[in-house]
Amino acid sequence: MVSYLVRRFFIGVLTLMLITFVIYGLIRNMPGSPLDTDPAMMDPSKMPSKADIQRMVEIYGLDKPWYQAYFTWLGNAASLEFGHSYSQKKPVVDLIKQRIWPTLQLSVTSLILTYLLAIPMGLFTTVRSGKPDERGLSFLLYMLYSFPSFVAALFLQLIFAVHFRDTWLELPLFGNTSSDHDMMSSMGQAWDSLTHMILPVTCFTYGALAYYCRFVKANMEEVIQQDYIRTAKAKGLGPVRILLHHAFRNTLIPFVTLLGLTLPGLLSGAIILEQIFNWPGMGELFFFSIGTRDYPTMMALTLMFSILTLLGQLLADILYVFVDPRISYT
Amino acid sequence: MSDSADTKTTPSPGFWREAWQRYRRRRLSMFALYFIGLLSLVAICSPMIAGTKPIVCKYKGNIYFPCMGYFNTNWENPIFQKDRFRRVYPRNLKRKDPQSWAIWPLVYQDPYRPVRSNEWGNGEAGNPFGSDGRPSRTNWFGTYKTGYDIFASMVHGTKIALLVGFVSTGIAAILGIAVGAFAGYVGGWVDIVLSRIIELVMCMPSLVLILALIAVIDQPTIWHMMIVLGLTGWTSMARLTRAEFLKLRESEFVAAARCLGVSRRRIIFRHILPNALAPVMVPIAFGIAAAILIEAGLSLLGFGAPPPNPSWGTVLNSGKETLQSGYYWQLLFPGIAIFLTVLAYNLIGEGIQESTDPRLADPKN
Repeated sequence: MVSYLVRRFFIGVLTLMLITFVIYGLIRNMPGSPLDTDPAMMDPSKMPSKADIQRMVEIYGLDKPWYQAYFTWLGNAASLEFGHSYSQKKPVVDLIKQRIWPTLQLSVTSLILTYLLAIPMGLFTTVRSGKPDERGLSFLLYMLYSFPSFVAALFLQLIFAVHFRDTWLELPLFGNTSSDHDMMSSMGQAWDSLTHMILPVTCFTYGALAYYCRFVKANMEEVIQQDYIRTAKAKGLGPVRILLHHAFRNTLIPFVTLLGLTLPGLLSGAIILEQIFNWPGMGELFFFSIGTRDYPTMMALTLMFSILTLLGQLLADILYVFVDPRISYT
Repeated sequence: MSDSADTKTTPSPGFWREAWQRYRRRRLSMFALYFIGLLSLVAICSPMIAGTKPIVCKYKGNIYFPCMGYFNTNWENPIFQKDRFRRVYPRNLKRKDPQSWAIWPLVYQDPYRPVRSNEWGNGEAGNPFGSDGRPSRTNWFGTYKTGYDIFASMVHGTKIALLVGFVSTGIAAILGIAVGAFAGYVGGWVDIVLSRIIELVMCMPSLVLILALIAVIDQPTIWHMMIVLGLTGWTSMARLTRAEFLKLRESEFVAAARCLGVSRRRIIFRHILPNALAPVMVPIAFGIAAAILIEAGLSLLGFGAPPPNPSWGTVLNSGKETLQSGYYWQLLFPGIAIFLTVLAYNLIGEGIQESTDPRLADPKN
């Protein structure tokens, strides 16, 4: 196991270096530079002098070709030094820290909701397989699965924020808090945050719901054909115990993989959805940093997303061993 | 071929034929296939459905097909430019040649410009916009921006939606199958290197990569976007093809072919590839759905086709920008179109999955 982990670690580090190298190359070759997009540059009265621009170019490392600048970045990143954001003049780490909570707020809520709803629904569709109620539910879920989340987001905004404006059904259009959030009582603040979360969480959840439900059903259908299920039936166990104890437990392995693969999504947020809801999360930060050519922020985020993707895969592989004693990496 | 007049044998149906028969029994998947066929028809005939240029017209003694200008601006006869039509045909045809006649598209609306008042010379009103742009008899799906017709934009945008799906997934499939086949067949260190590359691309956050690639291009067109989507979406197909090739490489019929002295190229293309294609068909269908989604999503973020190009995502984006005014028609129609197309491709993918799955290929169904 240890040698396996060591090998995975080195392959992972190599992969990370290659990914960041490719992305760094792309980012540096984007037309425009952080200097053009800086609002200070647009203002003629505050136009910095040539010497200032030269100084900024040097500080940003723009005078060096990108493959040299990459190794400077890599060296800094290795000592956990991610630099300052060009556009917001703050350490990148602080920026990311600010954004993690709103993103987690959405992704974790939606993940918990998905599991809470999808597992019973999946078991239900397994038990009632082929019956009209199962067909109806599966059909509905399939439609939802194909319904693009950003279209749903716009429709929901139109209905709840515009059409129901000034009625008791009104929900906020975007953002994670109202502008007068700080003046509210603590109960009011909680309510305010909650109402802001309803629409984004709905959009995050409904598509995944269908996917997870089908996932549970597909795995359950494979398991309930096994001999040991027939044996359990033959020895007179109740259907609930067979379903949960004998069948569902054996579908946990694919579930664990799925959990590992959702890990990067928890923090990376959804760029399009966060953009639509103006949610101050990681996805929005990334999108903003592309627009302003904010190299340090983009690179730090890319590195973080990639590490999470690799960690998720590794986690899934390791959890396999714990869930299924038949697998070992020795 | 030996002469076998007496022994009549019916050849057992091939794999694809059987799969097709199973596919045909799935009503929803067949319906989805018809829907995509209908969309293709709309895309091909778009200038005949909605446009402001006559399909056929007789002008100064000659027959012209000005609607071809929607496919390619050079296919519109230069005589109309020389005669200063300024893209307004109805009034000018009548005025400049009273003998002329024309067959008009089904809907007189243009995806590239709002129809202005008095284009027919009858003093009729031009396209309304803003809150007046709701669906009406002249603008079936309403208007967006400064009076652009949504129906015309969506009819012409069908072409883009279908092309994005086909071209980007086509690129991805060719790349994926080639890499996967090469890695799987050659094996050894080639396989190790290619597998690492596949994993590398898989680990890159896809939207990050797509946004970075598109931002690199100075003036991205829809074709650039298709290439970018193709370059980022090939990994799952490569992995599946590789796995199939690894498996089939060791099978008896390949060994037999090798013993017969069949060339390596023939083994790969004639013997292994057709047998390895079935599992790859599924990610192709789902890939088309994903490509359409990403294109619309990128348009929504403002990374899409530049404004004069009508695409479903562009209309949706305009609806997003005017959301607070409640112009529901700018969201409803493109949203439903994207949804139905994605649904259709998902159903097709599912149909292929079920009908090519050898485990489900028992004779009882």
